[in-house]
Amino acid sequence: MDFGFTREEEAFRAEVLEFLTEFRGMNGYFHRGTDTAYGVRQVYRALGERGWLSLSWPEEFGGGGLSPAYEFILWDELAYARAARPPMGPGLVAKALMSHGTDEQRNRFLAGLRRGRINFCLGYSEPDAGSDLASVRTRARRDGRKYVVDGAKCWTSNAHWSDYIWLLCRTGAQDSRSRGLSVLIVPLDTPGVSVSPIPTLDGGRLNEVRFDGVRVPAANRVGAQDQGWQVVSSALAVERHVQFPPKRLRRDLHDVLAALEDAGVAGDPVVRRRMGQLAVRVTEVEALGLALLGEVISGAPSAVPAAYHKLAGTTLAQDIAHAGLEFGAQQALAVGTDTEFLWRQTILETIGGGTSEVMRGLIARQEFGLRA
Amino acid sequence: MDFELSSTQRALLEALDTLLDRHAGTERSRELAELGAYDRELEAALREGGFEELFGAEEAGPLDATLAVERIAMRLGAVTPVPRMLVLPALGLEPPEGPVVLAVAGDPGPIRYGAQATRMLLADGPRCVLAELDPDTAEPVPSAYGYPLARPVSRKSRELGPGTAAAMMNWWRVGVSAEAVGMMRQAMDIAVTYAKDRKVFGRALGSFQALQHRLAELSVAVEGARWLVYEAAFSGARAESAAVAAAHTMAALGRVTRETHQIMGAVGLTTEHDLHLWTLRMQTLRTELGGRRGHDRAVVAARWGRAS
Repeated sequence: MDFGFTREEEAFRAEVLEFLTEFRGMNGYFHRGTDTAYGVRQVYRALGERGWLSLSWPEEFGGGGLSPAYEFILWDELAYARAARPPMGPGLVAKALMSHGTDEQRNRFLAGLRRGRINFCLGYSEPDAGSDLASVRTRARRDGRKYVVDGAKCWTSNAHWSDYIWLLCRTGAQDSRSRGLSVLIVPLDTPGVSVSPIPTLDGGRLNEVRFDGVRVPAANRVGAQDQGWQVVSSALAVERHVQFPPKRLRRDLHDVLAALEDAGVAGDPVVRRRMGQLAVRVTEVEALGLALLGEVISGAPSAVPAAYHKLAGTTLAQDIAHAGLEFGAQQALAVGTDTEFLWRQTILETIGGGTSEVMRGLIARQEFGLRA
Repeated sequence: MDFELSSTQRALLEALDTLLDRHAGTERSRELAELGAYDRELEAALREGGFEELFGAEEAGPLDATLAVERIAMRLGAVTPVPRMLVLPALGLEPPEGPVVLAVAGDPGPIRYGAQATRMLLADGPRCVLAELDPDTAEPVPSAYGYPLARPVSRKSRELGPGTAAAMMNWWRVGVSAEAVGMMRQAMDIAVTYAKDRKVFGRALGSFQALQHRLAELSVAVEGARWLVYEAAFSGARAESAAVAAAHTMAALGRVTRETHQIMGAVGLTTEHDLHLWTLRMQTLRTELGGRRGHDRAVVAARWGRAS
């Protein structure tokens, strides 16, 4: 057992920190500010130029062939700097294409993904299928060499500036649950696709993406028809170590502490005790993050360590943000302070990407064998 | 001992509800919030309805006034009921026309309706200071938390007698807790209704025992807060009762915020849904009077004397 990173990995961290001097303060992690979509794309391109969007891809696909530890270090440091979150394309989509895609699909997408020139969003949730993804209703009907897609996706992050949507849709019978789903890659500029904003409490937006008779070449289907559930599940498994970088929490803690100091209340024993408890929990989540990384490195990742990490991390993010508003210090309520923004932002974290309830259910089922 | 609302109290709340149907609610609240405005019409209606005199009325009293404060907050009335209906009457002062705000000397704020207010009651040492404000020179602070905020500037002021600051702080604690209780009850109501209606995995969300238990726990916390607040008001806002009520209420408020949002899922995160009208305002309440830090310290000071 070894909890440390190798000398090479630490050298890579130093390179990342050097790279970040250019992007510090842009706040692309939370998409704050007006030009952040543009800014985040710049970060992805800059990462792509360095080969950092494909660190752990096998060399046969143009990747670095490195340990997932490199990806972890990269996205952890970018999270602390608030620069950007891991993009879906070079992570989840690319890795799914490597295991389930056709040669033609790999040739079409992998180079652009690796270079940070193509952006994907995930079309999973629907108005009536959030936590319960197996009840997805967006329908893809086969018509010769095309699929015709009708339906709507909801709560879709980044759809307003992405190039493609990775669409989970129903190709089987309406009640076929997880057995009748397929994954299609749909260019967002295809006629019949419309994207409209859903304003959220953090001042940002999610999107509704509607599909009205959208014709998609059958060659854009990833994996076999009706096997979409397998594609989606295995794609999730290989990305869990970067989904919620724990250093984001350390940064949250530092920001809230700084605000409490500005407000002149950080020396109060009540505040010190509480912040001390939160600091202990930040370290706990960092340890859970490393345990999760170890699981991914082992090559046979179980979903349980990822559920521990997400559950503990996202709940802690809320506790840190709540502490910022709990000790008086009303100036923190002014729009745009780190404290009030974190409060509004962290409510989303325990819901997006698998709710805390889904995580708890998963732990009960997979770790303890408890069934409803 | 009698924990039922009296027939007078029920009639009072019914009359208040009728008034709030016209002058409050989600739509009006959204309109006024957009303008950053204070609701002078609602204030006038409350005055004409006699609600501002409940505190000292022979057939009513502080508890009735507290029930009214709770109800106004529950319905998102854009007024300042805590100073008008509790604090000023407790000090024997008649509420003037226009918004009145409360503040503590040395606290940089900002405070709710600080830019609209014409009067401010300021706790400064053992005394209160009643200040006239100049709304034109107030410094507005943009906020996403429902209420218009600002740092007011006072023009001239007059000192009130010794001991007034303690009475003000105690009633303020009771009042802001009553507002929080009203809002928490409404947020709970929204979440419970959703849990009954929303179908997931082929059944109602609320049929999952894990969620049932959490809603039940929340309900315990909110009911606890409600009765602590009523008792504190009934007892004349003794320092300890007021501080205990506020400390418990503000702790419950954090849980209610988180759990109601969690149960609502993604729809509750949108500005289109109404839940945030309560949950965001609740965060403004929790920062007043030093937040839990201030309330917890007040409990200790009331019970065991001020720490050196």
